[in-house]
Amino acid sequence: MEAETAPLNAVPPYGHVVSSDKWRNSSLIHSLKGGGVKILYENELGVADFHLPNRSCVLYVSEYDIIAGNGYKRKLVRYRNVGTSFQQLVLVENTRLSEQYFSAVQKFVVFDLGLTLLPVSGQTEASQLISQIVHGEGRENPFRRSSSSRLLDPQVLALVQQIPGVGKVKALTLLQHFPSIQQLCNASPVDLEPFMGQAVAQQIHSFFHKSTAAGP
Amino acid sequence: DVSVTESPAPPGSVCILVDTRCISSGVELMTCLRQRHRATVHVCSLDGSYFIVSNRMAVERHSQSDLAAIQNRKRLAERVNSLQGLFERICLIVEKDRTKPGETSRPFQRTRYYDSTLAGLVRTGVRLLWSHSTEESAGLLADLARLEHRKGQGIAVPLEVKGQHMQQALQMYLSLPSVNYVHALNMSQNFRSIAHLINSSIEDIEKGGCMSRSRAEAIYRFLRYSCDSFLMNTSKTGKICQ
Repeated sequence: MEAETAPLNAVPPYGHVVSSDKWRNSSLIHSLKGGGVKILYENELGVADFHLPNRSCVLYVSEYDIIAGNGYKRKLVRYRNVGTSFQQLVLVENTRLSEQYFSAVQKFVVFDLGLTLLPVSGQTEASQLISQIVHGEGRENPFRRSSSSRLLDPQVLALVQQIPGVGKVKALTLLQHFPSIQQLCNASPVDLEPFMGQAVAQQIHSFFHKSTAAGP
Repeated sequence: DVSVTESPAPPGSVCILVDTRCISSGVELMTCLRQRHRATVHVCSLDGSYFIVSNRMAVERHSQSDLAAIQNRKRLAERVNSLQGLFERICLIVEKDRTKPGETSRPFQRTRYYDSTLAGLVRTGVRLLWSHSTEESAGLLADLARLEHRKGQGIAVPLEVKGQHMQQALQMYLSLPSVNYVHALNMSQNFRSIAHLINSSIEDIEKGGCMSRSRAEAIYRFLRYSCDSFLMNTSKTGKICQ
């Protein structure tokens, strides 16, 4: 067995891919270059085939690997166990020949190892996907969560209006005198009465304190 | 003093919540979940057409062409963003398009746009699963629910909300910030009254809602948040609140 050297944790510069040396003359690399991606070769990538500038790495599982049997599983386990800070992607060739194994491969990669699987039909599609990942770093990601600092006041107001018999006008009146939900909840019917009718005051109190029957 | 209730599903079976909007497009899927995977499938009204397989995971199902259509991007981004607020984990099942009878199956044309969508989703931590058919999607949903169950995150709360007050409490819990349907069910089950929740510690909210610490903290703060009377006053004229 080959000696496990600590893999290089090199993050390629923008627009570049660090490729394991063995890919040097592949069609994948040719079409990556065609897509305007610059390649740096490296012998010490460990199990990974490529490092991408957004701190992700790629392991390529070919149709041949899948059909040939279980060797690729050991490789995947080693890949997962490297303990890198990179996001670990697995590109899986899903072709007419390997299709019948795809669901088993997916179970192993995603459910057993917890890695991200992206199917491709071959090296050309793989290079297109990789170049989108590389170029995507320079663009805004529409799926990144916008940490919206929404105003809480409208949310509190909306919640108070969930109390039966309380509409917007009553909710605003209540919040002017009991500015938080907790204060409102802990107000007695007598506290509420100066601002609401007796019946509504009682209703509000019992909404908060009535047993939700199923509870212990 | 919060005790957490037991699972509604029979042993060995898992529980999955489905939005009402999934019914029309997913009869076959739900039948398959119930019959082949012995899952307890409960239809309820969620804020989008998705599935909930655990306390922390939501699953959306998209056809490959749906994901590849550039006009869907804005809506997809909004969906993903809103789910990210409600769940720790989001999974997308990408299903191969069905060919209608008599139609020759056309190979899927992969575009740059499609690849950049995948790259963006993966980058934000959305999990992707690939399916060839409705049956396979059902299998994946059941597998996800089982995996989450093994990790102690399975849905373990009675799904029926009995009585008017219980229903009102559930609606109130749903209007708390970043509370999903399972959290709300857990809370309506595990707290004696709404006041009990409101006066609970962060630890008890975390335990009773079966949610993350940070979510429990946000709820705790929200319940004690003091409304600015100036804002409330201006809102009377409709400037702040709709």
